[in-house]
Amino acid sequence: MTPANTTSVKPQGRGIRQTMSDLHTWAGLLVGWLLYAMFLTGTVSYFKDELSQWMRPDVPHQRVLPDAAVVAQNVSHQLTTLAAGSPQWSVYLPTERNPVVNVFWRNAPTDVKGDKGGNRRGFEEATFDPATGQRLKARETLGGEFFYRFHFQFHPLPVLWGRWLAGFCAMFMLVAIISGVITHKKIFIDFFTFRWGKGQRSWLDAHNALSVFGLPFHLMITYTGLVTLMAMYMPWGAQVAIKTPAERAQMSAQLSAFPPPIKATGDKAPLASIDAMVRQAQARWGANDVGRVSITNPGDAAARVAVTRGEATRVSMSPQYLLFNGTTGELLDVKDNVGAAAETRGVMYALHLGRFSDLHLRWLYFLVSLGGTAMVGTGLVMWTVKRRSQLPDPARPHFGFHVVERLNIAAIAGLSVAMTAFLWGNRLIPADAAGRSATEVDLFYGAWAATLLYALGRPARRAWIELLWIATALLTLLPLLNALTTSRGLWHSVAAGDWVYVGVDLMVWALAALHAWLAIRTARHKPKLKTKPVRAAQVAAAAQTSDTPVNARLNEDRA
Amino acid sequence: MMHLYTFAICLVGFAALAMATERQQEALFHGVSRVRTRQYRRIGWTALVVALGVSVVNQGWGFGLVTYSGQTSMAAGLVYLALIVAERRRSR
Repeated sequence: MTPANTTSVKPQGRGIRQTMSDLHTWAGLLVGWLLYAMFLTGTVSYFKDELSQWMRPDVPHQRVLPDAAVVAQNVSHQLTTLAAGSPQWSVYLPTERNPVVNVFWRNAPTDVKGDKGGNRRGFEEATFDPATGQRLKARETLGGEFFYRFHFQFHPLPVLWGRWLAGFCAMFMLVAIISGVITHKKIFIDFFTFRWGKGQRSWLDAHNALSVFGLPFHLMITYTGLVTLMAMYMPWGAQVAIKTPAERAQMSAQLSAFPPPIKATGDKAPLASIDAMVRQAQARWGANDVGRVSITNPGDAAARVAVTRGEATRVSMSPQYLLFNGTTGELLDVKDNVGAAAETRGVMYALHLGRFSDLHLRWLYFLVSLGGTAMVGTGLVMWTVKRRSQLPDPARPHFGFHVVERLNIAAIAGLSVAMTAFLWGNRLIPADAAGRSATEVDLFYGAWAATLLYALGRPARRAWIELLWIATALLTLLPLLNALTTSRGLWHSVAAGDWVYVGVDLMVWALAALHAWLAIRTARHKPKLKTKPVRAAQVAAAAQTSDTPVNARLNEDRA
Repeated sequence: MMHLYTFAICLVGFAALAMATERQQEALFHGVSRVRTRQYRRIGWTALVVALGVSVVNQGWGFGLVTYSGQTSMAAGLVYLALIVAERRRSR
């Protein structure tokens, strides 16, 4: 980049770039704090299953994946007594990443009315050990599911509110990405540019690099994120086009992996062999590619069994299942494709979730997404860095600046503390405590609120450094806490070949190192205090350093 | 194993593209040469196309494109970090 080409480009580009730059700045700032949280919790959710395993230390480590057909048969046998009278069971078979059987069943209609103080959700869940077929008594926790649900519906907000809020943020993200690309005029020339130790310039270079390298991912993840909930955000097209119940059933068949419901006859009939049905599915898709067995009207003459394909071997979430007659075991329907539009949605959905990933691809997803988190974070910090140099008196900033600065601290450093506190809660709250799952979530929000109070009460720079050190300490001690409170400390996990536990412990230490590095960098940073008006300061600086042309141009590049 | 090959090709591609920029040529060769820029660009883009081809042939369009997209992002990021480290060393 030379001064000559900067000035020659400006006359044509300035108008639209200036507008887009303002749009980018303010769209980004308005939702930036929530976006940062969505990005970070979403990133962690790529390892949701592993995190859930780590958060249920009472569930023993499984060395081998048992045969899905045998497991499905054993568990459905247990359910005939455990969930008698239920209109539907869903059995999620174990996978390499989630080695237990998760079962959901709807309560029998009479139960819901009779049981006033009990479960109002209308369904029950249980976890089974695939090796023994017995029910597992694991501690009650949302596990990695909490971060997952937080990232698109801000659990425990009411689902509808949370999802609308997330959609609002995602829409602004899309606006910020597109306006950011238009603003960034030297995408190719500055592709590999980083200018160290140049204050605002360095922040801008880092923000640009993080944005540009991950651009395909950022666009994909934002757009597909909106697509996953599109039926909720924009229902009108479907409402106008689809009116009759038959059409509605057709649409749901395109999108839903649950076969259409069927009325029970009331005549009792035993279930046929589930084992044989799963074997047929395995023959079609592969031994480990059966995801779920759903049994509708079990024990009734009108029983139906749907065996659904897993998520690991295809880049699509479109429904694929085999439908069987539950009493005769006869194959009734093979659902293996959907229309082009529905398939487009299925592929986008799958791209967002990345559940098809092997370990290599999952790490790529995680790291690029972490880069996206850093992109949002650097963007937020840059807002204050740029304005601090223009403040009349940096020691006493105006109210807006003060608010943004403190919210940045709580949103970025505070979130790390809160997320780690959630994991601490998982180990410290007694395994049999009542409502412990909700207590863990409360702990997360409590810790987060505490960091905000802390950020409000301390000088900004000290608050950054101290909260980053607190996060470092919590992260560093977490594997030790794990070793003290469970029998599955790092050495034990290594000896047992339990790579999920080893991975989580090591990853936590890696994140601790990252936070320590950030804390040290912040502590070493010496802000240049400019008490003079901006222009005078620039002229003064011009006499001393050769960087000034770069800094002076900054305000024109990205005001 | 295949992942490593395609990732390595992406790394070569981005390293070459970095060498094609004026800033890096100034730093490494103390001067910008048009011939050099063109050659490095050609190497860089060829490597990226080859990596895409290898990915798609090995894993099909779906998985191939997703993997390629992730690998290019990571490779560009690694080259970028390497350049920063190199520059920091030079300036010491």
